[in-house]
Amino acid sequence: MEYRQVAAIGGKGAGPGQFGASLRGIAVDAAGNVYAANDSQITLFDAGGRLRRRWSTSQPVHSVAVAGDGAVYTGQIHQIEIFDSAGTLIRTWRDDALLGRVTAIGFVDGDVLAGDATGRAIRRFDSSGKFRNNIGRDNPLNGLLIPNGVVDFGVDAHGIVHAANPGKHRVERYTPGGELLGHIGHFHGTDPAGFGGCCNPTNVAVRDRIYCTEKAGPRAKVYSFNGELEAVVASDVFGANCKNMSIAVDEHGRVYVADTVKLAIFVFEPVAI
Amino acid sequence: MSANTARTSACATWLFLLVTAAGLAQSIPYQRPVDTAPQEKSIGGGYRTPAVQKPLPRSSWLQLLDVGVLAAAMGISSWLVLKRRSRKALVALAIGSVAYFGFYREGCVCPIGSIQNVALALTDPRYSIPMVVTATFFLPLVMAVFVGRAFCGGVCALGAIQELVLLKPVKVPPRLDRALGLLKYAYLGLALFFVLKPAGGDFLICRFDPFVDFFRRTGPPHMLLIGGAFLLAGMFIGRPYCRYLCPYGGLLAWCTRLARRGVTITPNKELDCGLCVDACPYGAIEKMRAVRRNCLYCARCYAACPRDRKLVQLS
Amino acid sequence: MSGDFSRRDLLHKAARGTVLATMAGGAGFLVKKANGQVVWQVDAARCLNSRLGEVGVAACNLCTTECVVSLSAVRAVNEHSRCGRCNICPAYFNITSAVDQRGLPSEKLCPRDAITRKPIGKADPEDPANNFYEYVIDEEKCDGCGKCVMQCKEPLGLGSIALKIRYNRCVDCNRCAISKACPKDALVRVKRMFA
Repeated sequence: MEYRQVAAIGGKGAGPGQFGASLRGIAVDAAGNVYAANDSQITLFDAGGRLRRRWSTSQPVHSVAVAGDGAVYTGQIHQIEIFDSAGTLIRTWRDDALLGRVTAIGFVDGDVLAGDATGRAIRRFDSSGKFRNNIGRDNPLNGLLIPNGVVDFGVDAHGIVHAANPGKHRVERYTPGGELLGHIGHFHGTDPAGFGGCCNPTNVAVRDRIYCTEKAGPRAKVYSFNGELEAVVASDVFGANCKNMSIAVDEHGRVYVADTVKLAIFVFEPVAI
Repeated sequence: MSANTARTSACATWLFLLVTAAGLAQSIPYQRPVDTAPQEKSIGGGYRTPAVQKPLPRSSWLQLLDVGVLAAAMGISSWLVLKRRSRKALVALAIGSVAYFGFYREGCVCPIGSIQNVALALTDPRYSIPMVVTATFFLPLVMAVFVGRAFCGGVCALGAIQELVLLKPVKVPPRLDRALGLLKYAYLGLALFFVLKPAGGDFLICRFDPFVDFFRRTGPPHMLLIGGAFLLAGMFIGRPYCRYLCPYGGLLAWCTRLARRGVTITPNKELDCGLCVDACPYGAIEKMRAVRRNCLYCARCYAACPRDRKLVQLS
Repeated sequence: MSGDFSRRDLLHKAARGTVLATMAGGAGFLVKKANGQVVWQVDAARCLNSRLGEVGVAACNLCTTECVVSLSAVRAVNEHSRCGRCNICPAYFNITSAVDQRGLPSEKLCPRDAITRKPIGKADPEDPANNFYEYVIDEEKCDGCGKCVMQCKEPLGLGSIALKIRYNRCVDCNRCAISKACPKDALVRVKRMFA
């Protein structure tokens, strides 16, 4: 399978729709709108890449996710702020112990999953914010190994959580209750089917396949659920010093990757071969 | 000896008290945006992050020892030459100096090079030198004001190594000797000019030290060749670097003019045999009289003198 | 000494006194100004091997070749609190070499084999990927060639290894030979501080 780039949203600068200093998370909703977590703001682009709205968060924001009801969950330090699609703050979940640096948010069966990079775990909360269990912290032996400082995961249609474990060069599968089911991926220095470098893949998104990004030789790749490499989405277009590039996939299989150096969201479309 | 040594020792005590609080070499902080490395608590299993080693510079004790050894060696040198008049003992001292100041300390910090440091410290407000370097610069000069170039005799490592290779001295005609001797002052001027240049000091004396690469046992090929050439020439022409190039020797020569004591050939005791004139390789005896500013304290004149040494008075 | 003060003697005494007084003055000035030793150190923010942004260049080994000391006074030092403790360390392994059955690269990076590793914390002897590792650089073997520093640099690594001048080996030249050759002017003088 092959992909071609169709758009580059945002960019570095001070203009409307541009990002100032950082681009840490992206999310795509059912309608194809793109949400970007940059600096201390959430920037909303429509499916055509035009700027719709932008609002500020109270702290620098590390991740963003859109729930089924359209609420926008933003991950920050020690808290998750929940906005509606117009940008009005609905709720704030604060937890100094269980929420450190929230670098990924996902949803499963009405529960909210928050990736806590400080505790190296994925925390599962119910919809009212009550803590249920950890995922990934107690996997043998040392849990999620994240020298990059980012926990990222995706949830597939069956409710299985696919979490990136970069220190082990794997993407691991967990049940929402925290049981480790298996993993895909292995280390390889030169073969593109493996994950290279010290700690890859850094970020992962799941829909019908597993989509992940890597650093140091930055690239985005697609794997099937049984671990076969299906495509290398792109590698040359990213800035060489990119690290922790957030990735998202929409219903049509378009892949969105946040370039952390050029501060742009690249959009790739699969082409029929 | 002088106010300087007293001051040096007072300051040395002060410095020592400061130093007993364990010296640490400063490291330059290297800022990374987010500290994400796993820490002890995260790693668990009773792991303790080891401290990063920070090897310390040469302890201040040893630096003070260097100054002490320098002062003691100069004292011994002047005693050996002026009182004991023993050439053998002086050669032993020369070997000791080559071993300590040469191979052990690798020729650094030496009073010759310290001219540049002192010149820079006197003129550049941003540059300062530690007290041991100040002491290293001034002690031989103070010694010279009183007894002449005791430093040159068996204490300076560069001089000692040339002293030890001198086999068959060839006399340099006095006019040529005097002309070549002026090169010292030219080199001194050049070295000062380069070190005081506003574009940042260029330390010529260190760069073109012919013997330091032997002491370090490694060096650029051209300097090793030059060093070898000096030693080769030094087998026949006595101490060419000391007499014609050493900028510190120029300063010592000036100070020696004021010295009261030194090698003297007493007029009413000498035999007029001229053996000492032949023995001196450095042109320090002219017309049966010692030219103190050229005397490099080698004691060859005493060794050659047929008179019972007890009868040759020190005036 | 006889008691008569000839003019020559007097001039000599005066000259000697003046010279000694000048020297004392100079020395006093320098001593007052003296505030400790100044030593050379590598600025990791400027060094080619550790500076962010230099991608795809070979490691610079001028620190090894230029130092006047026979085995360079520069060493790579791993700052443990910043080290990721990764299983596949790009500074320890040559990550482009072939992968063996345990899933580890077969070759090590250091040409002098100066880096050693051991598993720490809760260690799994079966699967190397499960463990944290502590990486220690042996200073007797390291020669400061900078290969590991370049590999550890972000984004590939976490940048915990940097080249540092070791003061028990550096002879503290007036003009450091490495500083003259360094293309990024990364050798700077710092004051030796007392803790």
